[in-house]
Amino acid sequence: MEVLKGISFKVLEREVKVIFGPSGSGKSTLLRCINMLNPPDKGDIFLRGKNLNDPEINLNAIRARIGMVFQHFNLFAHLKAIDNVSLGLRRVKGFSKERARAKALETLDRVKMVKWADHYPAQLSGGQKQRVGIARALAMEPDVILFDEPTSALDPELIGDVLQVMLDIAKSGTTMIVVTHEMGFARAVASEMIFIGEGVILERGTPQHFFISPKSERVKKFLEQLDILYGGHDKLLQHSNGEGSK
Amino acid sequence: MIFQTRPNPLEDFLNLLGFWDHILTGFITMIWLYGIALVIGFFLGILLAIIRQYGGKVLSQVSTIYIEIVRGTPLLAQTLLLFYLPTTLGIPIMGWEVEFNFTFLEKDMTLTLFNQAIFIGIIALSLNSAAYQAEYFRGAILSIGEGQIVAAESIGMSRLSGIYHVVLPQALRRVIPSWSNEATYLPKYTVVVYFIGVKELFREANYIMTHPYIAVTPLTIYIFIGIIFLIMISLISKGLDILHKRTGIPGL
Repeated sequence: MEVLKGISFKVLEREVKVIFGPSGSGKSTLLRCINMLNPPDKGDIFLRGKNLNDPEINLNAIRARIGMVFQHFNLFAHLKAIDNVSLGLRRVKGFSKERARAKALETLDRVKMVKWADHYPAQLSGGQKQRVGIARALAMEPDVILFDEPTSALDPELIGDVLQVMLDIAKSGTTMIVVTHEMGFARAVASEMIFIGEGVILERGTPQHFFISPKSERVKKFLEQLDILYGGHDKLLQHSNGEGSK
Repeated sequence: MIFQTRPNPLEDFLNLLGFWDHILTGFITMIWLYGIALVIGFFLGILLAIIRQYGGKVLSQVSTIYIEIVRGTPLLAQTLLLFYLPTTLGIPIMGWEVEFNFTFLEKDMTLTLFNQAIFIGIIALSLNSAAYQAEYFRGAILSIGEGQIVAAESIGMSRLSGIYHVVLPQALRRVIPSWSNEATYLPKYTVVVYFIGVKELFREANYIMTHPYIAVTPLTIYIFIGIIFLIMISLISKGLDILHKRTGIPGL
């Protein structure tokens, strides 16, 4: 079955791309293609000029440079928060124990989770787990971080903290590709938004374009639905950032 | 004839205790076979489970077929097959053995830790136990979920490294309660080596029972052996319980 058809886009350094669209449209598949967890059957993906579909390429080395944050967190259940973050540093980047620990603590601080460094995933709330998940990806200092609906499995009151962390790291210049329906987040930091439906790009443009004058009826309808469901967060984000249009 | 009642059970029991050296060497032989087979079966079982789960189409099939054949045929048949295999194939029988002769509390004892029969017994028990243990491990691996290995791969760990650092530490913790089944079955299965001539507990029991001039009834012997097993297996079971609690992690 063909899931993605003729999708092509470029992400520049420090850019934040937001991908959204109805469920089943292939957004998650797209992300899993980008970090080659599901290598595409056809087509090419380039990371800094290197074709990832080249059979010669070392996929593990590539994945170390493409971070991933999962909808269901996927934290290593047997490791404390700090060890979740340092495992990759030690086993992939070859850091010493002390150096990995220091780096992990520093990264946990960026997601405001230092206090919970010695907690196991089962002892954390969903929002806290996701922040550890973000730290785990961030610590590897990847070229780009992919977010696969990072807030859609969270209780509404926990979403704000995670979005705040994502805003912070976006502003610090991390290149991000984010699949999300959090339009407030998109409005605040997206350099471009891409609407995917049935495996093709239906429309793309800046947040202003989407929120003021989306072209297709399909997108308009979708945004209206989102507004009903998620409208509240916009205000929250505008409040915490003092920016965002309208 | 054998089960005729004896006038004095106490005398009978004291006669049995007089054979404590035989019971001791038989017991050590049994523990020895059990321990080695359990450990070899453990590592082989992990390997089989990982191959079955992550080995790709062909290898996974091989592992599955192995497990099904071993679990589908009698352990006694496997043991006897392995025992007669060398002679059938014309492979020379090993002459060497590891034997300890010592005197303890005025009893001369012979403890054989290694000879052809014991070697075959260890192989048979290990290969058999591996198949059963593999299924316990596979169950634990399946219960962990695909997300863990995907997450490991997403930070650049190789599949093997992900299995070693992420899947196994969780699977091994989760497997303890069900795996304790195998750990408590196996001591009782070691009895199959009786049939290839290893001097384990039941062979020694037979020796005591058929002793020409010291009378011990089978009833006394087998109740005594039963109690030995019961104590030993309770200890194993308790030990694994403690291990499970000690290695426990919240949420696992």
